[in-house]
Amino acid sequence: MIPLEYFTLLSAFLFCVGIYGALTRRNVIGILISIELILNAANINLVAFNKYLGTKDALGQIFSLFVIAIAAAASVVGLVLIIAIYRNAKTLFTDGLTLMKD
Amino acid sequence: MNEAAFYFIAAGVCVFAVMAVTGRDIFHCALWLAMTLLSVAGIYFYLDAPFLGVIQILVYVGGIITLFVFAIKLTANIGYKSIRQTSKQWALALFITALLLCVLSRVFAAHPWAQTVLNVPAASIAQIGRSLMMNYAVPFEFMSVILLAAMVGAIVIGKDKR
Repeated sequence: MIPLEYFTLLSAFLFCVGIYGALTRRNVIGILISIELILNAANINLVAFNKYLGTKDALGQIFSLFVIAIAAAASVVGLVLIIAIYRNAKTLFTDGLTLMKD
Repeated sequence: MNEAAFYFIAAGVCVFAVMAVTGRDIFHCALWLAMTLLSVAGIYFYLDAPFLGVIQILVYVGGIITLFVFAIKLTANIGYKSIRQTSKQWALALFITALLLCVLSRVFAAHPWAQTVLNVPAASIAQIGRSLMMNYAVPFEFMSVILLAAMVGAIVIGKDKR
């Protein structure tokens, strides 16, 4: 049987990869992809704890269902915002989007 | 299922995630993200959560990846391949995330996890549905309100003003 630490380590690795991507990407769509990775890392933890520590009525699975739904809503709004930004600014690179600064 | 399956799927998750974050072509990155999400669904199946795995494949790989591909194709005339995709401070970011990973793994290794797996039977789909509609009915309804708000907001923002 795989120990619980391995799942938390896998999730920590996925989380850190997502953080790295969100920090370094110049492309806004790339940042959104990294955020999806971070949310999945949280989900792996929830499901693993649910399996190993045995919550009542599968609370971990239900919680990750909510996380998946929130992630879907977030990426829908995010991608529409990206399309709106592209329509106005004609770029998707973060160093070109300085509308709030100028 | 045996342990080799877990190592196989976990290696898949790690490799695909790194590819999705470091790739140059953003369209390829979306496809690597799809592979990562499929591997995470494999982890869910391994953890006796088949319902969640199916939902992951349906919502993420079926829905969100399609949205990503649409967004990339609707905005993709900047010549993605030739342009640098990472910011200049990638080395600093790599250092910080490596530090974070070190701290996290030290904490996880040091924490005294329960060594025995509780012998809880895997939750059936009927059980999940029952607690979703009875114990967690209020957050469930809030979720539908959030999804409705996201849908209306997406239509309003995405509409061409001219």
